[in-house]
Amino acid sequence: MNWALLSVELAACAWILMLLVADILTPTAHERSLWVLALGGVAVCAGLLLSQRPTSETFQQMFVADSFAGYFKGLFLLTTGLVIFMTRATQRQLSANLGALYLLLFTALLGMLVLASINDLLMLFLGLELLTFSLYIMAAYLKTDARSVEAGMKYLILGSVSSGFLVFGIALLYGFAGSTSFPTIRTAIASGPVPLTAQAGLLLVLAGLGFKVAMVPFHLWVPDVYEGAPTPVVALLSVGSKMAGIVAMMRVLYGVFLPMQETWTNLLAVLSAATMLYGNLAAIPQTNIKRLLGYSSIGHAGYLLMGLSTGSSSGVHAVGYYVLAYLLGNLTVFLVVVVAADALGSDALDDYRGLSKRSGWLAAALFIGLLSLAGVPPLAGFAGKFFVLLATVESHRLWLVAIGAVNVAISLYYYLLVVKRMYLEAPRSASPIRVAPLTSAVLAFLVLGILVVGIFQEPFLRHITAALRL
Amino acid sequence: MPIPLTLLILLSPTVGVLILCTLKASQAALVRRVALAATTVSLAGAICAAVTYNTATAGIQHEFLVPWIRSLGIGFHLGVDGISVVLVLLHALCAFSGVLISYAIKERVKEYYLFYLLLITGVFGVFLSLDLFFFYVFYEMAVIPMYPLIGIWGSDVKEAGHVRFTKEYAAMKLTVYLTLGAVVALIGLLWLYATSGANSFDIPTLQRHFDASPLEPSLQRWIFPLLAIGFGVIAPMWPLHSWSPIGHAAAPSAVSMLHAGVLMKLGSYAIIRVAMGLLPDGARMWLPWIAAICVMNIIYGGFVAMAQKDLKLIIGYSSSSHMGYVLLGIACLTPLALNGAVLLMFAHGLMTALTFALVGHVYDETHTRYLPDLGGLAHQAPFIATCGVIAAMASSGLPGFANFVAELLVFAGGWDRYRIPVICGVFGVVITAVYMLRFVRGTFFGERKVAFARVHDATSPFARLPYVVLIGVLLFVGCWPKPMATLINVSARPLIERIIPAQEPGQLADVAATRTSAATSADALMADVAAPMTQAPQ
Repeated sequence: MNWALLSVELAACAWILMLLVADILTPTAHERSLWVLALGGVAVCAGLLLSQRPTSETFQQMFVADSFAGYFKGLFLLTTGLVIFMTRATQRQLSANLGALYLLLFTALLGMLVLASINDLLMLFLGLELLTFSLYIMAAYLKTDARSVEAGMKYLILGSVSSGFLVFGIALLYGFAGSTSFPTIRTAIASGPVPLTAQAGLLLVLAGLGFKVAMVPFHLWVPDVYEGAPTPVVALLSVGSKMAGIVAMMRVLYGVFLPMQETWTNLLAVLSAATMLYGNLAAIPQTNIKRLLGYSSIGHAGYLLMGLSTGSSSGVHAVGYYVLAYLLGNLTVFLVVVVAADALGSDALDDYRGLSKRSGWLAAALFIGLLSLAGVPPLAGFAGKFFVLLATVESHRLWLVAIGAVNVAISLYYYLLVVKRMYLEAPRSASPIRVAPLTSAVLAFLVLGILVVGIFQEPFLRHITAALRL
Repeated sequence: MPIPLTLLILLSPTVGVLILCTLKASQAALVRRVALAATTVSLAGAICAAVTYNTATAGIQHEFLVPWIRSLGIGFHLGVDGISVVLVLLHALCAFSGVLISYAIKERVKEYYLFYLLLITGVFGVFLSLDLFFFYVFYEMAVIPMYPLIGIWGSDVKEAGHVRFTKEYAAMKLTVYLTLGAVVALIGLLWLYATSGANSFDIPTLQRHFDASPLEPSLQRWIFPLLAIGFGVIAPMWPLHSWSPIGHAAAPSAVSMLHAGVLMKLGSYAIIRVAMGLLPDGARMWLPWIAAICVMNIIYGGFVAMAQKDLKLIIGYSSSSHMGYVLLGIACLTPLALNGAVLLMFAHGLMTALTFALVGHVYDETHTRYLPDLGGLAHQAPFIATCGVIAAMASSGLPGFANFVAELLVFAGGWDRYRIPVICGVFGVVITAVYMLRFVRGTFFGERKVAFARVHDATSPFARLPYVVLIGVLLFVGCWPKPMATLINVSARPLIERIIPAQEPGQLADVAATRTSAATSADALMADVAAPMTQAPQ
């Protein structure tokens, strides 16, 4: 047993305990300062991750710490660090019990880290539940806010149903292969005809994971949860949790079910088209920015699934790039939403009117973040979409490319509706919005990241190509 | 290592953008100076590139290549041939005069010039790129800044006191329309890349690859329309033109200048460079259809322009009508007509930039563009009125202006191939004369109106500079078209020759005959055109 493979996860566990103790010991008035401790935990995990040498060695056949896992763990840590920063940037929304929130953030992080390393269906279930349970509680974190409680409740009910699908699927696959271990199942699939029960098992596992990435038809929870939950939690939900679902899908589909790819590539292609169209079309009439971002995140899930539907390694690399671009773009937007909500006291799109006159920098960052999400060159989102579309063309699914390309124009339309309010319309109040220097610096880092990832694709692409081998 | 001119032209506005980012919004005068300096350097670079282009060796010159994504065969490849160098010069002229005209902008100056320079960078990038990836990147980069530029600094289009459409509507329609066109073209580009087997986005590399192993005509049949329609949206090709006149009308004048003067040429340039350059079989299959569509562009656009009462809408529809001639010249597939098409892009770009500049001046002074409200401005603004008359003459293709030479080349080059479209095109010139004369009469002539007593002329040499530059170049090229026509011809002829030998054997003799006659008549005609024009009164 090589415990070094688990170093990052063990550090996260240690930090969960430390945060628990620190939360009890810290007086309520000083709980805000715990963010430093939480951020320190992320830094320690990141340091351990960097010192870890990727290997194909497994821990008890259950857990693997290869370069694939390493890439995504890096993204998870980055996301968590930024989300912790967001909880600090907001004064109004999250005021009480912050210590417990950081604790839950770390359990969610642990779940995501585990999901990147799964080599067994039971680990898949474990990681997913760890992540989802933390998110149920965090979504309902504002106990006195009816919308937040509603969000947590909706998420819990629909999430439980999808967990049921997942467990049922795992059971069917176990019945087929006699094991929950990925390599064993893969051998069983490759060696002979796959019975209908095993195919149903795959379908059910996909449904369970589809819930996480907000794939149509398992997307119903998204708008309400996004609107009601505290914004930093929504940021984690839209970036971290979605990436975790995608990682798990990659592990399952490419690591286990690659031999029967004709079955699932076509299914994913159809579902990705539906997801893209639904998310982007439904985003158009939204009047609340968090709801709008919820629908937009469904649209992005469609692009990610489109990359997965290629069944090729270039598709996996494209998804790896897309995820990075999506992380940068979406977290930029959410950081602005967090800061703006503090100043404006609302998430209504109409309150974003004239934002460019009240804070030029905030509006510019949101503008760039939204354009990157829309896929406008030379920003990161464009490179991601370009690689995904290219991989799909190479897999000869031109109809899907056409839908993906048209969705670029649709999404640009509703993102520009936000830009229109910020730049074209007059502000309701002329008082300038002050952005804290540290927040400005983090925003600048994200915007710079969007530009660098969007312009200098080669080093990133080379790293991703080297890391994402399945 | 000396910096290649192409890189200098592209970097200059980019550096301008970066400098503007560091300036404060209150430093308006400095912001203007930075923008002017950036475009001046580009203009100087463009003139140098055009003058030093060696027509004897032809091909791609002033090259600059940095491998960008090696695994996909993407490279940052800049360079110009005879066609693109002319368009780079056009864009540099329009950008330079546009920055001067923009001095009238007083509100949110820094943001304005930021977006304006981004737009300029994008358009330069498209004309200079020899890599499909960067071609697309710059194309889309040129589209997006139009949204804030029109939305913030534009104006609603009113008619008889009623708002006909708002600037927000125009900006959104333009952006979404052009993005839709761009993504359709992107599908074509990706498909082309995936099926070429060359693993390269580099246009010259792809061309060499296709020379050795041509792409299946059955594939070209499908890829060509994707590219032609996708890029045709910005050309603007009927019936996908409706974003264009309203976009022109709502935009601030300097943006309309670039938009009508240069941005629309991106479409026809992309069709020449990408669609025709890489898909010769597709070009032969589909260009006859485009020739038919052009007629609609010319005639329909002309008639609609006649019916307009807003000055900018008149010019806007006239632009989409005139771009029909460009597309017709492209569709003819003869060197002579293609020469004419490119020359017309140049001439029309300058002419229309001139027109939008002076309409902008009229609007700034009178606060109306509604034709029935205007009149008699020649009394208060004789310089602007003179420019207006000159613009109308250029637009109607009077001899002495570059437009005349260009249209003549298109008609002569197309006569043997598409006689009916050419006849319709000649008729279109008459339509142009009707609405341009109406525009001049309604705006500048007639009784002196009391309401306009406070209208100022462009008096200072600085304010007159953009007009003088645009008119000067139009007359210069119109009276001595030979250098520019030679420049275009050295690149246009090889392009056509790549397409025409691809004909079926049965048609070969016929085509060869057309080719030789076109080739000889091209030189003869150019000499004929050049000779009398030098004596034409200026």
